[in-house]
Amino acid sequence: MQFGPATDIFEKWFQSRNWKAFPYQREVWSAFLEGKSGMVHAPTGVGKTYSIWIPALMEWCNAHPEKTKEAAPLQLLWITPLRALANDTVNAMRKPVADLNLPWTVELRTGDTSASMRAKQRKLFPSALVTTPESLSLLLSNPDTREKMQSLKTVVVDEWHELLGSKRGVQTELCLARLRTWFPSLRTWGLSATLGNLDEALRVLTGSDATERQSVMISADLKKKVEVKVLIPKQVEGFPWAGHLGLNLLPQVLKYLERAKTTLLFTNTRSQTEIWFRALVEARPDWLGDVALHHGSVDRDLREQVENRLREGSIRCVVCTASLDLGVDFPPVEQVIQVGAPKGVARMLQRAGRSGHRMGAVSRIVCVPAHALELVEFAAVREAISATALEKREPLDRPLDVLVQHLVTIALGGGFNEAALHEEVKSAYAYRHLTDEEWQWCLDFVTRGGSALQAYPQFRRVIKSDGVYSMTEPHLAHFHRMSIGTITSDSAVSIRFLKGGTLGTTEESFIARLKPGQRFSFAGHALEFVRVRDMVAYVRRSKKSGGAVPQWMGGKMPLSSQLAAVVRKKMSEARNGIYDGREMKAVRPVLEIQNTWSIIPNPDELLIERTTLRDGTHHFVFPFAGRLVHEGLSALLAHRISQVQPSSLSVTINDYGFGILSSAPVALDLEQWKKVLSPENLVEDLLACLNSTELAKRQFREIARIAGLVFQGFPGSSKSTRQIQASSGLFYDVFSRYDPENLLLQQARREVLERQLEVKRLRETLETVSHLKITLLETARLTPLSFPLWASFVQANVSSEKWTDRIHRMAEQLEAAAAKEKI
Amino acid sequence: MKTAEILCAGERLHLFAERAVFWPKRKTLLISDPHFGKASAFRHAGVAVPEDVTAHDLQRLTALLGEVCAERLIILGDFLHARSGRSAATMEALERWCAQHSSLQTVLVTGNHDRLAGNPPACWNIHLAGAELREGPFAFCHEPQTIEKHYVMSGHIHPSICLNRDFGSSLRLPCFVFGETFAIFPAFGSFTGTHVMKPEKSARVFAIREGELMQIPSSLLK
Repeated sequence: MQFGPATDIFEKWFQSRNWKAFPYQREVWSAFLEGKSGMVHAPTGVGKTYSIWIPALMEWCNAHPEKTKEAAPLQLLWITPLRALANDTVNAMRKPVADLNLPWTVELRTGDTSASMRAKQRKLFPSALVTTPESLSLLLSNPDTREKMQSLKTVVVDEWHELLGSKRGVQTELCLARLRTWFPSLRTWGLSATLGNLDEALRVLTGSDATERQSVMISADLKKKVEVKVLIPKQVEGFPWAGHLGLNLLPQVLKYLERAKTTLLFTNTRSQTEIWFRALVEARPDWLGDVALHHGSVDRDLREQVENRLREGSIRCVVCTASLDLGVDFPPVEQVIQVGAPKGVARMLQRAGRSGHRMGAVSRIVCVPAHALELVEFAAVREAISATALEKREPLDRPLDVLVQHLVTIALGGGFNEAALHEEVKSAYAYRHLTDEEWQWCLDFVTRGGSALQAYPQFRRVIKSDGVYSMTEPHLAHFHRMSIGTITSDSAVSIRFLKGGTLGTTEESFIARLKPGQRFSFAGHALEFVRVRDMVAYVRRSKKSGGAVPQWMGGKMPLSSQLAAVVRKKMSEARNGIYDGREMKAVRPVLEIQNTWSIIPNPDELLIERTTLRDGTHHFVFPFAGRLVHEGLSALLAHRISQVQPSSLSVTINDYGFGILSSAPVALDLEQWKKVLSPENLVEDLLACLNSTELAKRQFREIARIAGLVFQGFPGSSKSTRQIQASSGLFYDVFSRYDPENLLLQQARREVLERQLEVKRLRETLETVSHLKITLLETARLTPLSFPLWASFVQANVSSEKWTDRIHRMAEQLEAAAAKEKI
Repeated sequence: MKTAEILCAGERLHLFAERAVFWPKRKTLLISDPHFGKASAFRHAGVAVPEDVTAHDLQRLTALLGEVCAERLIILGDFLHARSGRSAATMEALERWCAQHSSLQTVLVTGNHDRLAGNPPACWNIHLAGAELREGPFAFCHEPQTIEKHYVMSGHIHPSICLNRDFGSSLRLPCFVFGETFAIFPAFGSFTGTHVMKPEKSARVFAIREGELMQIPSSLLK
């Protein structure tokens, strides 16, 4: 009777399924039944859903020993970041309800739910509603939601680690704050994968004033066994470049695919999935139809088909990206293959966890290095996994665009009182540091348009009357509801066959580069581009395969600092002749060349290689801080160097370092290097050297959409909406000119610094560097570390297809030189 | 340069970076697509756009008219943006402007937006020329088209040209496109978007950047 009179019913149900409740699950049940809030972190596939769903049902059964005829009124809201996840969750939740014949209804409400269903739900909510952050936000815009939700007792946020650190996460925080204001005794529970900053994740979930609230952290503490197997190429190439993508290991990968019934093959970018899919089908035409492709830009229907086949186990291999990272349960998946470096420990574990999803099963991951140095990264991952050094997810700090959207939503949903809402908003962790000025500005923005001194005539969105802010105009309400939930979408062009049938979406910039008749690959099809109309690119099937592969922006994941630290450690071991494990032994010849021709940098030194080639003087700097940091750092250095020694410079970056090419010879001494690497005046110099206006303008796209300035083209939208469509760039210009104090502009600039350039990590890197010993070496030729950087110079600057030739020629020369030295 | 002089259909024309063309022979200033009231229409829909846009555009127009001593203004359509943009503030500003320029002869060729937004009030003394006005070698229309024996001056498209720069970034600049049989004007209104065009090599294209005009070499066209 540990969990009340209904304990037995559920114990028996577990037994009937041959399950045994984990100790951590029982711990959650107790805390839940005591009315506590909290967070459960556990690897995927250990029954997280039931750890919370079961006590919710128990609580009801305890209170209602007699069977009721009427379905239970709304008890629980289940928020999930992915629609794909929602269906599975509903099915899992319905299982005990059906088996035990409980008077509970479990329903789904997402953007895909039919209008009639949504209307029905608004009249009477089910006992448990599974929904997305956007749909919940939309519910808050209805004035009667509070009354209809009165019986709500618990809100659960699934896959909280995915929402944390994103604007959707902030939107969720604001919704949770609202629900807690309405129902002070509401429980909040979060389910998360293991993170480096779990305590913070819990605080974000339960709100900034949660100290008073009882909240607990429960760890599954189930060490899921992960087996990491790294494929080692027969011949380790010393001078690889990023273009290889591990395809030379294709024969070995095919063998692994033959052995397992169902495999997930992860790559790091959507374009790589297209390339690998093509390669697999070309190598094994008999597998056509048995291999599928899954990434975020593939149409939802197609993705669902693939997911269903995964669930049934009726597919051999799915080539995918982060789109399948989330905890959808596909028990038939036997193994996971990771192509290219994992870039992060948590991500690698998450991916490994896709296989052996059943409780107690071993997760197997086969790693395919795309080039020799990635062997070091895999070795580092293996080490980091055993030491469980995990990355953090940094929560966002007060994005005002999300707040503006929320203010309008709440004004629409019955209105608000200023002081009360101010307090509520500040109780959301993201806005705990919100200043009074910022709050006032957001209020002004939705009521007056401009700041207090500069009200816009005839502007009305939210109206203040008798101390209550509300929105009454039906057409404004309509526009606003359409703009909620556009947080995730980008300016995407959908790809459709001329004869009908949508394949998915891609970025506008890719389509803009295509000419009619040009061939390209998408969603595993060979296509021919026909024309683009109203954000739809029309295509037809192409008889020949090949052609361009779409590049998606932001597709390249930076190396996490946790993993970078382990990589550096492995490198310095190598410098001292210690080569531990198969991967390190395999990469040994490459690292030995590096050590002979230059040096393998120790963690306490910064290596700068200087090489003069036909095309000019190259400097290669290796801070090992990940590509995002290197992007800002290289621009900064190029700017500072050009001030010391004027010359035309170009830069290239990867995860380990960056290269600066100057046409005129540049020679800085150690002191000068120290100066250009100084953390002083970082932000000023950065803004001066980057085209910060253009970057901010790009960042403003998302902000304008969230703050409700820009409406996306809606299918079948009337003339009246078309007349109020303008690009975010135009808004940026108009605000810069007529209302430069607009805080959304400032937010755009701040986001450029924080999110695009990672100024925080940049500063940390420079501060670290200032304590490092700088080792400046003149090398006679390119080294294994610098070669990939040089190759991307050539790739970017040499037109036509000649660049591959040039890179291969250079690689051959270097290999020959290396071989000669050995003899 | 702020201005450029070209020969077009045998007539001398002055192009202005402020997105207008002066035809000296007839003392006529030509503009297209001012979209007055667009900001109001946005505000009506609950989208915050500063009001100063209208005042700024009217000032620019006044300055241009003064600079060239024009006696006539021809607007190639889309004078008003939308019916919901006919707000009191915008209409008053325009009425005041018209009253201050009562000696100016203003002609409006009807554009697609004008049809929905409605005609300007009669008291503003704007002559409505319908869909097309022919004069000398020119035909003034809203939408680009070919008209026999006439060179067409048009707008509607809000043309811009996309120039590629280093590091894969590109620059989008509003432009005048003078083709063989018709010209397309950039939109005069400062709160208007643009549409990227790929003009024929034979076209003379003048892009506008930071208040300066620059002719795009034909080598950079199509």
